Amino acid sequence: MIEVKELSKYYGDKPGVMNVNFSIDSGEAVGLLGPNGAGKTTILKMLASQMLPSAGSITIEGIDAIINPKESARCIGFLPEIPPLYPDMDVNSYLQFFAEIKGIESKGRAAHLNEIMEMTSIVDVKGRLIKNLSKGYRQRVGLAQALIGFPPVLILDEPTVGLDPKQITEVRSLIKKLAQEHTVILSSHILSEVKMICSRILIVNGGRLILQDRVENLEKSGRSFTIRVKGGRRQVKKILSAVPGVREVTPADDPAGESAGYCRFLVIGEAGDALREAIFRKLASENLPIVELHTMGNSLEDIFLEVTV
Amino acid sequence: MYIIFRKEVSAYFSTPFGFIFMGIFLLFSGIIFTTYNLVGGGGDLNGMFGLFSNISFMIFPVLTIKMFADERRNGIEPILLTSRLTTVQIILGKYFAACFLFLVTLVVTGVYVVILKIYGFPYMSAIIGSYIGFFLLGAAFISVCTFTASLADNSVTAAVSSFGALVGLVMAGAFSRTLEIPVLSQILSALALTRQYDEFIRGIFRPGPVVYFIGFSAFFLCLAVVSLGRRRFA
Repeated sequence: MIEVKELSKYYGDKPGVMNVNFSIDSGEAVGLLGPNGAGKTTILKMLASQMLPSAGSITIEGIDAIINPKESARCIGFLPEIPPLYPDMDVNSYLQFFAEIKGIESKGRAAHLNEIMEMTSIVDVKGRLIKNLSKGYRQRVGLAQALIGFPPVLILDEPTVGLDPKQITEVRSLIKKLAQEHTVILSSHILSEVKMICSRILIVNGGRLILQDRVENLEKSGRSFTIRVKGGRRQVKKILSAVPGVREVTPADDPAGESAGYCRFLVIGEAGDALREAIFRKLASENLPIVELHTMGNSLEDIFLEVTV
Repeated sequence: MYIIFRKEVSAYFSTPFGFIFMGIFLLFSGIIFTTYNLVGGGGDLNGMFGLFSNISFMIFPVLTIKMFADERRNGIEPILLTSRLTTVQIILGKYFAACFLFLVTLVVTGVYVVILKIYGFPYMSAIIGSYIGFFLLGAAFISVCTFTASLADNSVTAAVSSFGALVGLVMAGAFSRTLEIPVLSQILSALALTRQYDEFIRGIFRPGPVVYFIGFSAFFLCLAVVSLGRRRFA
């Protein structure tokens, strides 16, 4: 469904996103997590064809999003962090306009928009000017815009930011319902929200994808740990990746240690002590001392804090 | 294109901007008509259009300051650029909407012609020629403002750059009449929109200036299309 390979974005010579690789299957709900400035919004905008990557490829439903941005944009409903609204239009006119530019035929357009307004619970405000709506309603109008044409992929960038608790609950319930029929990519700071809606997590930090796995796998005891080794980064990564039971080896930041010849990795593999023992023996045989090994906590919050340090 | 045209025209009349433009335009035209015709006793609109062509640079930027800036600020522009609309359709829709508002405003000034007809014997062919010429001049100014607005990220920058560009064109017209420097005089004459417009005021209606204005507008609209298209690659 969605295939991203070596995706990068540079702002001048400053890297925003670097060599991100992932794929998302049809019907999956994936959470994109990361601290502020990690590159989440940049990745989402590139997926939605609203920003051109500096390098890499994006394929959505078999369409190359860089060569055919308009075709791939038709497969996507994108709700940015700030909903794209015309404040001086009323809700109905706004949705009519977007339905026209998205190519919804005039014959069934009214019924289609009515259905979307009912799904997003904005029927009672359809005649009101958008500038007079509350933040929660504006968010839902933005979501309604993203749903026009019922695109197979929904990309939602922090859809509940700034909402009150009641509005948050309503929007989350709506997104969870939509996730049953659409592929959803949800970016959020709120880990509980991502856990509630998504089956898989991608964690981004410093422009890099540092962790991706299913939520239940991440929270299994002892599966994830960080390891600090004295040795060359490439050599250590190669050795770790070859240990049976290791599923993923991701470089982690170690600014103080790198200059002194240390490297740090996040390792995901089978639960239990056997894996750590195997890693110890392998590194010892290669004369690469382990100076630190830290098993990550069970909760998503612990994992997030650990990998985004 | 019609989708954008309809939306823009609706926006002009559902916000103060369209009415501000019409109000300012009609205020200036009313003052000039009163001075030249009602008080001065002039029997045609040459004075009004002649003076107007030299001060209109203050008014036309109002039409275009929000043309792109609001959509950029609200995050709508990327959606438009990745919709089924082409860049040409977006630019032309916005441009023709601004020209339509200008045309409606000009039609309202038809009341001056009615007054002249009631109390005098105006030369209607010359008046119609002046209106056509002034509309073409205004459309050319709007095309320049459309281009400068397409480069700007906010309304203030759009207004200042449009104002500056139009001042430059009006000054080019003024200097082209007085300077006798080879090459430079020719360049200034080519840019002197108001000088091309002078023929219409004198009651001369030739295809040359009409083609000039259309070509001038088309050139700046092409620049606007390129400018907007490049934003996709930002």
